[in-house]
Parts: sequence; C-alpha cells; structure tokens
Amino acid sequence: MAEAEPIRSGRRVLVIDDASLVRLYYRQLLEDDGFVVEEALNGLEALEALLVGPFDLLIVDVNMPRMDGLTFLRTLRRLTSAAAAIPALVTSTEAAAQDREAARAAGANFYLVKPLEPEVLTLHARLMCGVPA
Amino acid sequence: MPLIRPKAAGAPASSPDPRTAPDVAALKAALQHGTPDARRAAARALAGVPEAAGLLAAALAGEEDIRVREAIFTGLAGLGTGECADLLLALLRSPDAGLRGGALDALAAMPARLPARLPALLRDDDPDVRLLACGLARVLASDEATALMCAVLEREAEPNVCAAAVDVLAELGEPQALPVLARCAARPGAPAFLVFATGIAMRRIRAASDRAGEAGA
Repeated sequence: MAEAEPIRSGRRVLVIDDASLVRLYYRQLLEDDGFVVEEALNGLEALEALLVGPFDLLIVDVNMPRMDGLTFLRTLRRLTSAAAAIPALVTSTEAAAQDREAARAAGANFYLVKPLEPEVLTLHARLMCGVPA
Repeated sequence: MPLIRPKAAGAPASSPDPRTAPDVAALKAALQHGTPDARRAAARALAGVPEAAGLLAAALAGEEDIRVREAIFTGLAGLGTGECADLLLALLRSPDAGLRGGALDALAAMPARLPARLPALLRDDDPDVRLLACGLARVLASDEATALMCAVLEREAEPNVCAAAVDVLAELGEPQALPVLARCAARPGAPAFLVFATGIAMRRIRAASDRAGEAGA
C-alpha cells in the first residue's frame, strides 16, 4: 500500500544550526512532511533571514559560532516586530535541567535533546505550527 | 561575534613600545568598572599587552555586553599565545553558550595552538567538551582532521560527539575514513540521525575522491 501523501501545510520553518548534516536531516524530514524549510548557520544569519521572510517556526541549536542560539532568542524576543512572537523549538545536545531552564529563560517554547528521531521532530513541528498531528 | 581572522602561524604577539606602553592598572579598572564603551576601549587597548591575557579572560566571566565580549575575544585571539589558548579552552566548560561560542570563534582563529591541545580535549571526560573540540578540528589540514575524527569515531560512545565528528569528515574527510564511517553507521542501536549523517559523509568523500581521480587522470 502506498504511503499517504503528507499534508502540504506550507508552514515555513527556519532551521538554525551550524552543523550542515543536521540542517540537511531536518530539511529532508520536514520537507517530506509538507513544510517549507529555510536554513541559517548561526543567530546572526537567522536575524537576517527574519528580515526577509515570515516564518511559522524556528528550530534553534544552542552552540553556534558568531551568535549562539540563546543570544539569538534573547535578541529576537526583544524585537518589536511580529517576528518576536514566532515559536522556537530549541534542540541541543545538553540535557541538564539548567540548560533547559536557560533556554526557556531566553525565549524557547520547547526544548528537545539531540539526536532527534524523525517522528519526534515532525510531531513537534506540527504541534508548534498548529498542523494536525 | 564577528569572524576573527586567523593569525599567521608563529607570528609573535605585539610588544608595546615602553615609551607608549599602556597604563595596565588604569585599563584594568576601566575594564572592570567602566561604562560599556570604556570597557570595550580598555579591552582593545589591553589586546596589545600579552601579560593581560588572564585579565581579559577573567573579565569575560561577568561581562554581559556583547560588544565588550567581542573585543575581549578578538584581543585574546590576536595575542594568540599558548596561555590565551588555554584560557579560551577553559571557557568551553562555561554554562554560558555565548562564552562557549566566543571561545570557539577565537580558538578557530589561532590554528597553530590547536594541534598540541586537541587530542587531549577530544578525550575529555565531558562529552560536551569533546563535541565542541570536534568542531575545532575543521581548522586542521584534512589528513590530520581525518585521523583525529576517525580515532574519535572508533572509541566514542556518545552519539552526539560521533555526529560532530561525522560532520567534520563530511567536509574534510579523506577516503581512509570510509570503513570507519561504515562501522559507525552499523553500530547496533545507532540513532537515525547518525545513520543518515554517516551515509551523507561517505557519499561526499567518495564523490571528492572520484573528482580528484578524474582530475589526476
């Protein structure tokens, strides 16, 4: 039996991660699930991307060069534009409670520990974008 | 922080002219108690004083202004001494992601200091430190980076550290990494991401090897 077609939500996701293979992995999974994906290599690139296009979800790594994910989120949440309210899913290799709390304090809406299984990523992306799971 | 340009290997840290040597005590006071602009100016001035490396690194702990932090990291990278490298490496253990990221950027700008330090860092007890150390291997020559990352994959149990090593190999890896990557992907219980990443890395290495073969034919 053929696999069901994904719901083409057209929701736009900005993946912010300095690891090229992580970006590629998330892109493949999310595009297969009907999302439109853009990429940024660090927080500074993400802020530039937000000037250009609207996004429904940000997937944010913590440790990145030039601007880390938490500094990016603190900067984002201080903006007066609509971008400040975009939900952010932080993905990190750090699993300690203090790391989760630091992300929440910076403006993360959800925190997942890497590596992510495919269905975990797509389920959270759907939930955070209001797409039926 | 802005991209820090790598310093030429072996370039000496600048030594101030004694006649115009900065007043380190005054700069230290400004760095600790001044306005953000004064702290930034002090950090820039101290960047020419090799003995001030410890002072600059210590100031990072309480510094929240991003521009001042940038000036300090740029100064430490510019000094480029072994002491600076060790002070920056210590920051990889900071709970502050901004300090970890700044330290990584600064360390990447002083590649001559890394070959002697990376092997121990890649065997650190803390997996987060090992993971960050993998990223630093990008500044090494491809054969050196390949050897280090393959050694990591052969002994490492933490999947996120393996993924960081695979990411480096996908960019710089040489063909001798292929069997190591294949063994990594075949580990029982390997996470989906690691299987995906090793597959991409192997394809990229084979493609680069094929291109090199065609160019040499």
